[in-house]
Amino acid sequence: MDAKTSTPAAHAPHATGHHPSKFHTFVQIAMILSVITGIEIVIVYLPFAKWLVVSLLVVLSAVKFLLVIFYFMHLKWDKVFCTILFFIGLVLAMGTVAALLALFGAEASIPLSAAL
Amino acid sequence: MSHAGTIDHHHDATTSTGIPNKKLFMWAFLASDCMFFGALISTHLIYRLHSPPGSPVVSKIFSIELTSFSTFILLMSSLLMALAVNSLQKGLVKSTRHNLLGTIFFGLIFLGCQVYEFNHFVHEKDLTLSNSIFGSTFYTLTGTHGCHVAIGVLWLVLMYVRSFKPADPSRPWLARAFVHFFLFVITTVAGMATVLGLVHALHEHEPLVEFAGHNLLAIGTTIVGLTLLTWFGFSRQPVEFGEANAIDVESMGLYWHFVDIVWIVIFTVVYLLEYL
Repeated sequence: MDAKTSTPAAHAPHATGHHPSKFHTFVQIAMILSVITGIEIVIVYLPFAKWLVVSLLVVLSAVKFLLVIFYFMHLKWDKVFCTILFFIGLVLAMGTVAALLALFGAEASIPLSAAL
Repeated sequence: MSHAGTIDHHHDATTSTGIPNKKLFMWAFLASDCMFFGALISTHLIYRLHSPPGSPVVSKIFSIELTSFSTFILLMSSLLMALAVNSLQKGLVKSTRHNLLGTIFFGLIFLGCQVYEFNHFVHEKDLTLSNSIFGSTFYTLTGTHGCHVAIGVLWLVLMYVRSFKPADPSRPWLARAFVHFFLFVITTVAGMATVLGLVHALHEHEPLVEFAGHNLLAIGTTIVGLTLLTWFGFSRQPVEFGEANAIDVESMGLYWHFVDIVWIVIFTVVYLLEYL
């Protein structure tokens, strides 16, 4: 059953007050996301060590990712089960990517054509 | 219509989980879609890890300016989508419609950029789906993401048209909704053809008069379509759509934001890492 058919009693704690506006929060998050994207683009042209740039890009992307899912997708305000459900899929996906990269990144996995 | 601010949009005491079922379904679907994109991204990375001899120099193919612009557009569309959900949770239907239209517009810009990018890669950089492994994995990954965006835009349009459903069930609505929807689709296709034609004309230094002559049908259809859509949008009759439908818009929003977070990963992994 969705919210449309919910009984008023179910919403009693919220019936008397208005929800605080998230407008400013969303605009601020969008600005932060834009700034991070700008930083990412600049970073790849800076003369830093490759490992440092890759690490920074991964961290900045993770920050953007988390900001979107927790604020724009409302995980911050929703029940924690939604977060758990999504992270089950996310962890499985990241595990698959990591396992495949480790497997194919091993020396024995280098194709003969690429090694030439 | 319910009174604004009377519904708790984050908890539903009538379900065993306390979460609206539509939202729970969407989170479960997105979790599975994570694995789908995880497989596509890892395939692309594995083949980039061991590029076969003769692979193209990717940093000379990509246009960081265009991709950055697309990323910014998609981030801003996510903002508008979040604002659309926020508006409807307060019962503000008109504001919701404006934000939905903005999200559709930005989604279409993103798709237009992707069409331009693919066209540019195929015709000017000689990167096709089948002439290199990089081309195969790149087009499969970004094309699948583009399909997700296109489905999202279609869903947004359907939700926008639905927001005009009259509160009075005796008023005919289905035929009007079909006309509204197809008008939206035809205008969108004609509009995109016009814009892409204009970009091509500017790129080729073609005179604008010549461009207008070649694209008269598309330009005319776009103008007529936009006029009719504006007329459809000025409906003042009471509508059924309201705060109780916020869960529908929120579920759609979850999908749209997911498309955005997938692009955040693709932008870093597929595009930015090539410049190192």
